[in-house]
Amino acid sequence: MRRAHLLGLGFMTPALFIIVFLFLAPVVLTMMFSFTNMSSGTGISSGGAYEVTERTIRLLKDQGFPETTADRLAEDTYKIDAAGLAAVQADFGKAFAQEIEAELSGKSFAGRRDLERELKRLKERPRSTRDLKKAADLFKRSILNTRFETEQAFLTSVDELDLGLGETETAELTRTAYTGWVWTTENYRLIASLPSTLRAAGNTLIYVSFTLAFSIGFGLFLAVTTFYLPSGVATTFRTIWFLPRILPPVIYVMMWKWMAWDTGFLSSFLAHFGVPPRNWMLHSDINAWVVVVLINGFVGASLGMILFSSAIKAIPETMLHASEVDGANRLQQIRYIIMPQLRWPILFTTAYQTLSLLTSFDYIYLSTDGGPGKATEVWALYTFHTALNNYGGVLQYGLGAALAMVLVVIGIAAALIYLRLFNFNDLVAKPRIEQ
Amino acid sequence: MRPNFRIWPILVLLSILSLPLVLMYFYLVVDTVTDTTAGSLLPDRFTLEHWKFLFEKPETGRASIWPVTANTFLFASSTSLIVVMISLTAGYALSRLNMPFRKFFLGGILTLHAFPTVTLIIAIFLMLQMSGLYNTLIGVILVKTALELPLGIWIMKGFYDTVPWEIEMAGITDGASRFTVWWKLVLPQVQPGIAALALFSFLEAWKEFILPQVLAPSGASQVLATYLQNTIMDDRKPDFNLFKSIGLFYALPVILIYVVFNRKLMNIYGGGTKG
Repeated sequence: MRRAHLLGLGFMTPALFIIVFLFLAPVVLTMMFSFTNMSSGTGISSGGAYEVTERTIRLLKDQGFPETTADRLAEDTYKIDAAGLAAVQADFGKAFAQEIEAELSGKSFAGRRDLERELKRLKERPRSTRDLKKAADLFKRSILNTRFETEQAFLTSVDELDLGLGETETAELTRTAYTGWVWTTENYRLIASLPSTLRAAGNTLIYVSFTLAFSIGFGLFLAVTTFYLPSGVATTFRTIWFLPRILPPVIYVMMWKWMAWDTGFLSSFLAHFGVPPRNWMLHSDINAWVVVVLINGFVGASLGMILFSSAIKAIPETMLHASEVDGANRLQQIRYIIMPQLRWPILFTTAYQTLSLLTSFDYIYLSTDGGPGKATEVWALYTFHTALNNYGGVLQYGLGAALAMVLVVIGIAAALIYLRLFNFNDLVAKPRIEQ
Repeated sequence: MRPNFRIWPILVLLSILSLPLVLMYFYLVVDTVTDTTAGSLLPDRFTLEHWKFLFEKPETGRASIWPVTANTFLFASSTSLIVVMISLTAGYALSRLNMPFRKFFLGGILTLHAFPTVTLIIAIFLMLQMSGLYNTLIGVILVKTALELPLGIWIMKGFYDTVPWEIEMAGITDGASRFTVWWKLVLPQVQPGIAALALFSFLEAWKEFILPQVLAPSGASQVLATYLQNTIMDDRKPDFNLFKSIGLFYALPVILIYVVFNRKLMNIYGGGTKG
């Protein structure tokens, strides 16, 4: 290998290192996670335990497991076995234990009352009822909310309950009671069938199309109008419209909240005209959408304005002078001279913003957080909520990863199309120094 | 261009459309030093009370602003430093050095730039938890650096592309190695680019909210973005005067950098590389 090659690769090494660890590894992991049912419930380390909880029983019933059997899992069972007898012998003496063994050995009872009734008939029983209850409790066998580290221990305890499970039922119970994560394609099936993913997709479509239309349209308007203003005034307006882009999102959205909340400026202002105060950000779906589109649209228009302004500045002034001599008015000038020059910047901005809007969610997260209800929850925010910010319950890493994979696929496809569209080969001029 | 037409209609239209933003900026500044009677639109008393958070011990359960500011500064400047250092070498390699897979690297970096935070953050969240970097500033710095890197490399490559080949050719002819040429001749040529990229990455990290929120939510590694957002979310009764004072304090470096280095930054923002 030539020395220049080595230098080049050496120069690339730090970047490649970071890219491999913080881009490629996460993407590969996301892909793997998307085929698991990993959640904050299952944990992320491999291997789990077996545990029957209220939730397990609910799940079992949903899966068509026999209801009475499922309910029995939750109930205490009293079983006269060697371990129980040994405990009784230690606490209440040998005579009582031996009598129980002789009379009741091997029997099991569904509730404590049944066992107590039997115990009361015995001669060697303790005299107080409290002691009798205590003795009965020594035979209590329950698997509810008990963790079993191995499948073997779990099955042994299940057998003790004498549920009379068949082979398929045992398998189903074991699978449902497993607390660790397993490989599954369930997430992708869910994405295809859940109504909430469909709504998130619809919301994303609304969000991207409206915000894009607003930011391109308004960006163009700003660029063209400020072009015709004296430079001092133009700079003032450009600064006003550029600030949303460089201000931190938290502050920018806070100013919108001050404007829109029910104690905010808009409500106070409209109160003078008899409009009752309300939260203009979250009062209705329409309110929320207007705010979301404007918050993002202003930032998008900033970018558009700057790109279009510099493209307009690049137009030779003589062209504009000539058109004026020929009697063109402003609108004709804009239509026939400026707009044709902006074709590429507009295409670029559209392409670029489509992709970044599709995957961005910070401004929505900070302002409406998808509300009211889920009216403004776009795909990216839905992913974020599912995997990392679910106030209601468990964080579903697996499902979230699958949702994210959809964005990854769209992102890569779009990037490849753009590389073609914007003549990638022109960007990679060959090095001229060969060594 | 001579204004041989009436500009006031445009001026009026633009002013009306800009009014909401102007109002927001105006009240952002004014509300920090005044009080307004409830229901009234105009402030009526001067006060410095809203800036108390800078000096006084905060209410229980809330951190003091200074360690948080130090965290933010550390976060932003480390991110900026690492992004610049790595982009400097990688950008040069992509712009000038002959190496295998060059085209593939370039395409890859452009594709990576299209990778949104949300697709990576789930896996990164779990990776940081496994490696023990969860809830540390180092974790957030690493992740932010990685996310800014594709753009940084691309921008640096752009600046290297504008350096005339003749400079390097002359250096090589005089017997210098490629490394020396880069270090002694090329680097001084791209100094404006280095400054622009450093400022840009600093600002991007300074503004970042989602990453610290998800990857380092606890108090000790809080940054100003999460501090302000938590203050806003905490209050049952919103005290916008306080929010705005904290907000303005947080925004000051951004505004300062924008005012002082306007032209340098426009190199990047005008390049249309982020949005």
